[in-house]
Amino acid sequence: MSATSAVTKPLKTNGLGRTAKPRKPTPGVSDSSAIGRNKWLPYLFSAPSIIFVSVILAYPVVWGIVQSLFRREKLASPLEFVGFENYLVLFSKPTFWDSLSKTGIFVFGCLILGTALGLIFAFALNRTLGALRFLRAVTIAPYIVSSVAAAVMFRIFFNGDFGTLNRVIQFFGFDGLPWLSNTTLAMIVVIVAQVWTDLPLTILLVLAGLQAIDKSYLEAALVDGASSFQRARLITLPLLSPQIAMSIIWQSYSTLTGIGVVLALTGGGPLRATQILPIEMYNTAFVSLQQNEALAIGTIILILNSLLTLIYLRLSSGYGVED
Amino acid sequence: MTTASPTTAIERPLVTELPLPRKRKVRFTVRSRLVQVLLWIPLIALVLWTIAPFFVTVVASLQTRGEVFANPGILPANPTFDSYVKVFEMPTFWSSLGNSLFVGVATTILTIAIAVPAAYAFARFNFRGRAFLLLFTLLPRLVPNLALMVPLYRLAVQTGALDKIFTLVIVYTGMLLPLAVFLLVGFYRKIPLELEEAASIDGASMWQRIRYVVLPLSIPALITIAVLAFREAWNEFTLVLVLMTSAENRTLPFELFSLEGTEGIPDYPTQAALALLTVIPFILVYMRIERYVVQGITAGSGK
Repeated sequence: MSATSAVTKPLKTNGLGRTAKPRKPTPGVSDSSAIGRNKWLPYLFSAPSIIFVSVILAYPVVWGIVQSLFRREKLASPLEFVGFENYLVLFSKPTFWDSLSKTGIFVFGCLILGTALGLIFAFALNRTLGALRFLRAVTIAPYIVSSVAAAVMFRIFFNGDFGTLNRVIQFFGFDGLPWLSNTTLAMIVVIVAQVWTDLPLTILLVLAGLQAIDKSYLEAALVDGASSFQRARLITLPLLSPQIAMSIIWQSYSTLTGIGVVLALTGGGPLRATQILPIEMYNTAFVSLQQNEALAIGTIILILNSLLTLIYLRLSSGYGVED
Repeated sequence: MTTASPTTAIERPLVTELPLPRKRKVRFTVRSRLVQVLLWIPLIALVLWTIAPFFVTVVASLQTRGEVFANPGILPANPTFDSYVKVFEMPTFWSSLGNSLFVGVATTILTIAIAVPAAYAFARFNFRGRAFLLLFTLLPRLVPNLALMVPLYRLAVQTGALDKIFTLVIVYTGMLLPLAVFLLVGFYRKIPLELEEAASIDGASMWQRIRYVVLPLSIPALITIAVLAFREAWNEFTLVLVLMTSAENRTLPFELFSLEGTEGIPDYPTQAALALLTVIPFILVYMRIERYVVQGITAGSGK
């Protein structure tokens, strides 16, 4: 019985006959009764939220993109339309390309480490039947920590003089490493700290995917004599691919647009070693006071981000995953 | 290979206890018992990975400035609460704590007060432009805080909203609304229409139906939204960094950040103590809200 249900299930969601059928009414929306009949009330109800979203989110983003096409020569001089000059100025600066490559390393490093740890931990959590609630509570603990507090924690953990990590290394008879003052090591430190703050979501996404897998597939494979490694590689991972893809896209969203952890941990240093684009944007806007140029950096980040979002939307609709 | 008919499954002698009723769990062989023991290694790694930063921060906060460097051990030699006393004596600590509390509570209330009617309208009414307006409300969820940093700062300067604590409430509410509306619309659509129709037949007005039928049923969703909203307002750093300029208007993350920036050798114990104090409100209610946090994280993967 279990096997047959497993076979018929995919057929149901195939979307056959979607074209022929008339549009279904939206669930929960009333068509017939007195409920939900009013000409102006729904507009009144939704107006505050629409106004808030427009004023706080939609308008500022559009304004920022438009403003990135303007420039003022001196702080007091009026704004002038300069087209893409801000972008051309950026592209001519080696520091921009340096930041862009640092961003690439940072995002890529976070994705690799975050996805690897997320998968390992989620698989392990999925197999525990006992203390799951406790372990899940531990898992999501980083979520309640602000980015600045996480940065403080990791500065203490990785401190070159007294950091716990170096104490442990020294305990085994090796020399401690200058984690925060070496350019290569500093990048590793910020990647670890960023992954630490993002990991709860990755684990929960993958775990939800694992728990949704129809056990009958695995049982059938077990019966056919598939080893646990084969089961994981040939059944679980392919079935998990929508969740993995989604977690990858959200991780890149978070690392590409996150500034708090790196700003509070290294501030972009040492020697620009962790100067990712968001920090470059912040410095351009609030240290060099070139706000329109900063908006150009912001727009570039937005473009990179929306490319990733498009991939996310495509993947999630392709797999039929609910938003 | 993936599909085997249940009859052959039973005939196989290899697995003796294959479940006929589907609910029963698959028994593992001796080899997979070993695997189960090995499974504890990633679980221990997970606990260590998550707890270690908390642990070293607690240890650092219980030491004095000099001791942090001098003490070669991992545990504090002479635990002291000096650094906590130092935090409490900071003049701006109490104001930033008060600001964080105010912004957290006000954002939560405002978000719910605005999201509930909007979600009710989108879930229950058929009106012209409903799909478009819903999309317009939900789509900005994808806007990252980073992209708002400079524009909101400039707009706040122009409108005189810079360095006013209420600006933060407005901004955070705007940021949270797409997600809150999204969650509530989904929730309201699952509440059977018949319940409201029955109440309506009994003579309940729309306000009474919302008050006595819809709201009590949506309490779990409201708690999830409250946890998300409070946590976002409490922990947000990117925007408070540029929108607040004077020391007495900082929230806790900003306060912690500016403590880092003081000259000379950083006062690690005080930083550690303050970092822990920012987490404490959540720790106190942690096991109670954990379920809602899990829902909030998975639903709120947008932010």
